[in-house]
Amino acid sequence: MQMRTAGLSIALSTVVLAIAVGAAAPRAQAPGAASRLQGKPNLSGIWQAITEANWDIRPHQARPGPPQFGALFAEPAGLGVVDGGEVPYQPWAAAKQKENFAKRWELDPEAKCFMPGVPRATYMPFPFQIIQGTNKIVIAYAFASASRLIHMDKVDDSPAENWMGWSRGRWDGDTLVVDVTSLIDQTWFDRAGNFHSEALHVIERYTPAGPNQIQYEATIEDPKVFTRPWKMTMALHRRQERNAQLLEFQCVPFSEEMMYGHLRKRAN
Amino acid sequence: MHHHSVRVISAAAAAAAIVLLASVPLEAQSSKTPWGDPDLQGTWTNQTLTPLERPAEFAGKPELTEEEARAYEARLRQQNNADIRTPGTRRDVTVAYNDVWWDRGERIVADRRTSLIVDPADGKIPPMTPEGQKRAAAARAASAAFGDNPAAPEDLDVYSRCIIRSALPRLSTGYNNNYEIVQTPGYVAILQEQIHDTRIIPVDGRPHLTGAVRQWLGDSRGRWEGDTLVVETTNFTDEARGSTFRDATKNMVLVERFRRVDAETIDYQFTVTDPDTWTRPWTVKMPWNKVDGLMYEYACHEGNYGLANTLRSARAAEKAAQQK
Amino acid sequence: MKRILIAAIAMFALGVTPVPGSAHHSFAGEFDVEKPIKLQGTITRVEWINPHAWIHIDVKRPDGTVESWAIEGGTPNTLYRRGITRESIKAGMVINVDGYLARDGSKKANGRDLTLPDGRKLFLSGAGANEQPGR
Repeated sequence: MQMRTAGLSIALSTVVLAIAVGAAAPRAQAPGAASRLQGKPNLSGIWQAITEANWDIRPHQARPGPPQFGALFAEPAGLGVVDGGEVPYQPWAAAKQKENFAKRWELDPEAKCFMPGVPRATYMPFPFQIIQGTNKIVIAYAFASASRLIHMDKVDDSPAENWMGWSRGRWDGDTLVVDVTSLIDQTWFDRAGNFHSEALHVIERYTPAGPNQIQYEATIEDPKVFTRPWKMTMALHRRQERNAQLLEFQCVPFSEEMMYGHLRKRAN
Repeated sequence: MHHHSVRVISAAAAAAAIVLLASVPLEAQSSKTPWGDPDLQGTWTNQTLTPLERPAEFAGKPELTEEEARAYEARLRQQNNADIRTPGTRRDVTVAYNDVWWDRGERIVADRRTSLIVDPADGKIPPMTPEGQKRAAAARAASAAFGDNPAAPEDLDVYSRCIIRSALPRLSTGYNNNYEIVQTPGYVAILQEQIHDTRIIPVDGRPHLTGAVRQWLGDSRGRWEGDTLVVETTNFTDEARGSTFRDATKNMVLVERFRRVDAETIDYQFTVTDPDTWTRPWTVKMPWNKVDGLMYEYACHEGNYGLANTLRSARAAEKAAQQK
Repeated sequence: MKRILIAAIAMFALGVTPVPGSAHHSFAGEFDVEKPIKLQGTITRVEWINPHAWIHIDVKRPDGTVESWAIEGGTPNTLYRRGITRESIKAGMVINVDGYLARDGSKKANGRDLTLPDGRKLFLSGAGANEQPGR
């Protein structure tokens, strides 16, 4: 009789304790504390590419910038991020890219603070933050406060073309594969005038390579502009400073003089 | 004999557990993310017909009856119907286009309050401080000075310039009042349709940014209080027309509370405090309702022909005036 | 009785304070309240963009010349949520525009009231249009 009562008390206490512990467990977790979520890698965090791709995705040597700024806005050399080194343009498109390059400081949509599109947003020299939810993933880019919503659940097609496309994601083992369609044709791949049409289709692959690195691949398909699909590859690095935070780069006001200065009221 | 005792103990313990679980408060049983935070995720709208302040016709009447509510909604929908013209008036120009392009909402808030403001109890924004009044008057005068003819983009407000639409906290506007909440351990993200901004709210207890860094959407820090996400936002900027909420200073403090009530509703409240602007803090309560649909991209600056058109029109009007 | 009702509705409409949203972007800076305009034209293309969609039309003048006009609409996102797609209005369709002329004298107008030649409001009568706003 004694033993039964004691046993019941212990069992009861255990249950009470279990509930109490459960209720008091800390809710918020430190960012990055969960390296896996729902059985998959947790890609959440603040990331940035360290490449010269935004100046030119192809292998290129150092170049002058606008002369009045001396070395300030000159362009570094880069090994390129294009697999094989060459962008396989159709002949008409190769000529157009050269025209774009010749007028790049005037034509580059980056100068107007237009959203950079995919994959350029990935390798702009600005950080971005991935917030991996249970059926959606948000990628917030510091540049122009551009954002993308990656649908991990089934969704209809986009009703329109979008500057940041329409993204559908799925897992392939530990790789996040994102299929991006409905991309507007007005973005460039870089500052060198590499471009595409509205037929652009991008397939991204994000594969963890250690706790602070993601291997990133973007396959580019655009039968109106290129002779075949081609690929860009680069590493993404976690921003690891204490209390790392994505800060705004709201560049619309910075672009207004360039875009609207000619419409400013002149003093008589 | 031994086994029998153990079975009895186990059964008793199980029964005790069931009794204890049943007495745990309801909030601990609500929807949770896999890592244990309350789940606010989904596509939401704060669209409502309920006005911010209690209209004079409802003075002293904090809420309507069912019948009054339906009649009021019908009247507001009629008033908002952009297909109703007032040709040749300024209003006809600013209403701008047919009702099919607008989405001002169909219903007032479910609890039939006559104002979104719940504190002060009269449903009105508290009086402004003398300094706040001066600042608001100066802002109106500055806008009136250029009227329809801004000299430069910076004369116009952040809305027209496609910088932000609008300063936080966001009330419901004429369309696209949609938000996507996505959570991951340590963060709550709110993607706002206008203008494609993602508010990223850390919930790990880190301090605010230094006051030297100001942001258009401020700097947000969150924490969980039971099932409620409490978000404090500071570090606003006053660098542009309309960059602060209703003529507040950049030192305004915004505290928002988000609580998932059921599958279709978030109980959303905010309190704004700015002793240099209002004589006391004030609080708004409005539900965020589930959207049966998707977020769409709202690129703004990329297609903002209207800004160039407005500046061009201003220069043309000045030229015409000079030639008279 | 109907006239009284219409007048009453008009009075309500006039008496109401500026609706949220319209106070921010002043169309009055872009379009001239003193210059109402009515046009009929054939759609050549539609820019389904934010913050405002633009409908480009060719307008045939009495003397036979053809002018290109740009008509400003609202946010297409609201249309998509009503089940209206880009198939709803396309190049070749004829539409009537009742709006206000651009202040800078260019061939632009805001599409204050857009209708089909038979008087039906544009979009609400198109194929695939869903007259209940999505919510």
